[in-house]
Amino acid sequence: MIRFDAVTKRYPGGHEALSNASFEIASGEMVFLSGHSGAGKSTLLKLIAAIERPTLGTVTVNSQNVGKMRRAAIPYLRRNIGLIFQDHKLLFDRSVMQNVLLPLQIAGFPRHEAAGRARAALDKVGLLKREKANPITLSGGEQQRLCIARAVVSRPSLVLADEPTGNLDADYARDIMDMFKAFNQVGVTLVIASHDENAISAYGSRVIHLEHGALLS
Amino acid sequence: MMTWLAHHRQALIATLARMGKAPYATLFAIIAIGVALSLPAGLFVLLQNITRLAADLPAQPEISVFMQQNANDADITVIRQRLQARTDLAGFHFVPRAQALAALSKQAGVSDLTAGLTDNPLPDAWIIVPAQADAQNMARIAAAIRGWPQIAEVRDDSQWAQRLTALLGLGRDLVWVLASLLGAALVAVSGNTIRLQILTRREEIEVSRLIGATDRYIRRPFLYFGVVQGLFGGLIAWLILVVSVLLLDQQASKLAALYASSFHLTGLGLIEVAILLAIAAALGWLGAYLAVNRSLRLIESR
Repeated sequence: MIRFDAVTKRYPGGHEALSNASFEIASGEMVFLSGHSGAGKSTLLKLIAAIERPTLGTVTVNSQNVGKMRRAAIPYLRRNIGLIFQDHKLLFDRSVMQNVLLPLQIAGFPRHEAAGRARAALDKVGLLKREKANPITLSGGEQQRLCIARAVVSRPSLVLADEPTGNLDADYARDIMDMFKAFNQVGVTLVIASHDENAISAYGSRVIHLEHGALLS
Repeated sequence: MMTWLAHHRQALIATLARMGKAPYATLFAIIAIGVALSLPAGLFVLLQNITRLAADLPAQPEISVFMQQNANDADITVIRQRLQARTDLAGFHFVPRAQALAALSKQAGVSDLTAGLTDNPLPDAWIIVPAQADAQNMARIAAAIRGWPQIAEVRDDSQWAQRLTALLGLGRDLVWVLASLLGAALVAVSGNTIRLQILTRREEIEVSRLIGATDRYIRRPFLYFGVVQGLFGGLIAWLILVVSVLLLDQQASKLAALYASSFHLTGLGLIEVAILLAIAAALGWLGAYLAVNRSLRLIESR
């Protein structure tokens, strides 16, 4: 599903975030990206979602060369990817429900169907009772769960999560990891970046370890 | 298709809601656009009224030739023969003094005056249309006729009509210049409000991009905002014109009544209003389009 061939990402200014990385992730896998902050985990996820383009090498997602993708085609790639951010990137000018509806509106779902799907997604993350609340009134863990609901509401086949449990306490973190496990069991491919080695080892999934932009398998 | 319609409906509703949320900012922008539009549109209305007024005047340049009061039929025949002999005339016709008086007494306001007359004070006259209407040619013909027997006066009275036509032409050019300048101002006003909007909604744009929004989807609400704002501005301009014409018409009709005329100021016609609104909407769209594209590129490159 995802394939990196000798991928290097150098940012303007010369910082090399990723050096000559090659690996493959099969459809239906759940893979952890580990490494301390600044090791290149976020860059790697951004390359998959075409938020950044590689300096060298090729990134292939669903047999499409993402690095060379036309600008106009990128939105359609992203609609098939659920993105989960450490800082949630929620919109505080609208309700919880409206936040979850956004991807469906963008993809052009009919209103009735969109509402049904959004409720289902909120129910899955345990936020259905808060659908009318403003996300600013939610706790950190709830905000992260809302971000997950928004990422999975359009039922993408690939979910990328950047430090999803980064600033949550252990109980919340375990909840969220269990949720990911459940998604994976219904066939969703997950790539989760985390610096929390303990949480990673508890799940026994495949781990891609990064150090200073280099891959250590 | 349904998706497309739904997106447009969504964008329109969201636009109106957003305008409602900041009523004062919206109102000021709309008034600025309206005033900017009302200036060229007002000048256009003024010119149209003057043109309408001028339409009663001889459009073709003419020369009026008046005979002496004591001229007889023989004199008239001589003049007719001489006029027929000239090759530089497009045409001419004779106005007998009796006919001229009858025409004059029919005109409102003068009939009382003519009724008291015992004698006809008007001379026999000729109306001559030269083949070439330039001022030099007119003057040459007028000078030649002036030397003929029993001619009292030759009046090259079309000159001022030509001047008026030239002035109206100048006015029309002025409308274009003014319209272009203020049109550019409208694009700037629209672009600026949109730019501010984009700044306040930057987060939404970034998030939408990350979850698969196309450029078109992101642009749409802003373009709607520009169009709706321009449209409202056009309505304000129209309102300004309607009120101005109403206010000025009272004085204009009073003035016209003094000249025994039933002249009334007219505002914009239905088609002209439609054109005004269409231009306002199009310029609003253009401003929004320019601002959106620029701002989106800035957000992208960050």
